[in-house]
Amino acid sequence: MKIDFSGLESTAPLCGANSEMFDGISTSPSFQIPDTTDFDDFQKEAIQMVKPAKGTTTLAFIFKEGVMVAADSRASMGGYISSQSVKKIIEINPYMLGTMAGGAADCQFWHRNLGIKCRLHELANKRRISVTGASKLLANILYSYRGMGLSVGTMIAGWDEKGPGLYYVDSEGGRLKGTKFSVGSGSPYAYGILDSGYRYDMTVEEAAELARRSIYHATFRDGASGGVASVYYVGPTGWKKLSGDDVGELHYMYNPVEPTVVEQEMSEA
Amino acid sequence: MTKQHQNWSPYDNNGGTCVAIAGADYCVVAADTRAVGCISPFTGAVRQKLGMLRVISHLGMFGGELSRADKSLMASSGFQADVRALQKVLAARHLIYQHQHNKQMSCPAMAQLLSNTLYYKRFFPYYAFNVLGGLDTEGKGCVFTYDAVGSYERVGYSSQGSGATLITPFLDNQLKSPSPLLLPAKDAVTPLSESEAIDLVKTCFASATERDIYTGDKLEIVVINADGIRREYMELRKD
Amino acid sequence: MSIFEYNGSALVAMVGKNCFAIASDRRLGVQLQTVATDFQRIFKIHDKLFVGLSGLATDAQTLYQRLVFRHKLYQLREERDMKPETFASLVSAILYEKRFGPYFCQPVIAGLGDEDKPFICTMDSIGAKELAKDFVVAGTASESLYGACESMFKPDMEPEELFETISQALLSSVDRDCLSGWGGHVYVVTPTEVTERILKGRMD
Repeated sequence: MKIDFSGLESTAPLCGANSEMFDGISTSPSFQIPDTTDFDDFQKEAIQMVKPAKGTTTLAFIFKEGVMVAADSRASMGGYISSQSVKKIIEINPYMLGTMAGGAADCQFWHRNLGIKCRLHELANKRRISVTGASKLLANILYSYRGMGLSVGTMIAGWDEKGPGLYYVDSEGGRLKGTKFSVGSGSPYAYGILDSGYRYDMTVEEAAELARRSIYHATFRDGASGGVASVYYVGPTGWKKLSGDDVGELHYMYNPVEPTVVEQEMSEA
Repeated sequence: MTKQHQNWSPYDNNGGTCVAIAGADYCVVAADTRAVGCISPFTGAVRQKLGMLRVISHLGMFGGELSRADKSLMASSGFQADVRALQKVLAARHLIYQHQHNKQMSCPAMAQLLSNTLYYKRFFPYYAFNVLGGLDTEGKGCVFTYDAVGSYERVGYSSQGSGATLITPFLDNQLKSPSPLLLPAKDAVTPLSESEAIDLVKTCFASATERDIYTGDKLEIVVINADGIRREYMELRKD
Repeated sequence: MSIFEYNGSALVAMVGKNCFAIASDRRLGVQLQTVATDFQRIFKIHDKLFVGLSGLATDAQTLYQRLVFRHKLYQLREERDMKPETFASLVSAILYEKRFGPYFCQPVIAGLGDEDKPFICTMDSIGAKELAKDFVVAGTASESLYGACESMFKPDMEPEELFETISQALLSSVDRDCLSGWGGHVYVVTPTEVTERILKGRMD
């Protein structure tokens, strides 16, 4: 039997600016590398100029019925909010989800790429790829670009032959199997709620509410998280989006306010 | 490796602002025509006007006239050399596509192509901030907004460039559409008519020109709808 | 990150017909972490004079206390309230005293002067005054506020319309800024009364 090593190949070669004629329109795409003596310094300056979108709260956990995945939807550049409607839970295939934290472009591109690879695996092997396999594919790609400034913190959650699966993968080459993760600038707040409310034998409804509440509390305390709290559930029949709530309204649902008359005098300091 | 000057940078910022609004059956894309030279963050040299530019590309043959068949419009700001290079690459890819498939590329496909094109320069980015507008396969208006390295998103309206921070809050206030991520979903189409959208764009730029020194001179507006595509201009402050 | 952005703030003042409005956000943060959502940045000096202090919260509070102290001395000596123009000069002078180790604040001053003529002004952290006839803004959301105010402001608004305009401008601006928001505080001041309102806003 021939062993398939295609997962070990990097997707696109790196090359310098030596094919001027077809620069950018060659049929097999490649990453152009700047012609510079100090790549690290160049990256640092370039990143400072283009300021890619950042800032996130994402979480995922395994419980009795499957995996719950939730995220906010804000993207910020410095202090400025560049979008309130980012889709941070990426649908890789009907049984697998990826989450997005770190550089938006890095996550979007490599998840799209992972989607292609998973589909090809499915066609070649006549069965769906395992969560373990998919996360390893992604981790290998990210590891091959290590030190070049990619910024990805992602969770791969899904359901395969062995049941629910959850992995954390990052651009530093890390890949961890686990049952409970939160990633992004709002993750400390989300962990607080998640850890205090988590039980393995929750129902789907309880788990969804816990996930939503964790995201809400993170958006409240973290300036770089906000927008819409989306909650996905992955079970034996694939993923399903359970809720998407504007946290602007969620706050007043969790903390109802009765209108008060504001005819108060200012106190002297 | 060539020896480079201490403070030399392959980038410059020529400023500029673009806005795009999608409606039920139209799309408005607008950009100012001012370009400012030598405002490199590394040298901090004196500013200088570069004069008028054509900033909205319809991604046909570069420099060609607008055609009824055009489905996507791209407006960019940032470093003009990168903007030109990017628009040329896209126009060329589009031409190849037309030869291979004997049809125009749809706007969502073009959006994906632009994202990939930007990402393949991840380690040496195009210093260009883009919005792509057009009609999707159902004839509905669509706007895609990007960062410089290719993360993109379909939205109802967007603003990019030096005046984006001034214009976006106002557009939010006037057009705030429910987020596409909401469940149960709410209809996210901009409620304005085509002429109202054009007026809104004009107001935005008039305001941005007051406070943003990199925006001004002239406003180019291109409207795409079922009847075809047309271009109009409005004068902005020249100082 | 700049020290001016450490706590996060948004401040705006607008002129109407024989009245003015001054508004701020309610967040106090430590960089991206939100610590309080009922923070005061706008202070009353007397019935027709308000000052808003954007920037570093600790300096804002210290500066406010010094301003109140100086204003009280003025009241005792002169037996009258300070005119907004005079107060602006006082703030400017106090800031310039610390020219080489400034308070990290950008003040916004709004008041009704002689014959109830509205006066608004802002200055940088070392006291360079900038007078305006329409609106002034300050804080981390200042760029967004410039854009919103520039498009929404109309001259000679009545108090109710002024309140609506300044609230819309404030809320839509802070919704594009990570470091400010979490509700709003609005004062509308006419020759006869001061109305204070707290705005419900997005809490993210």
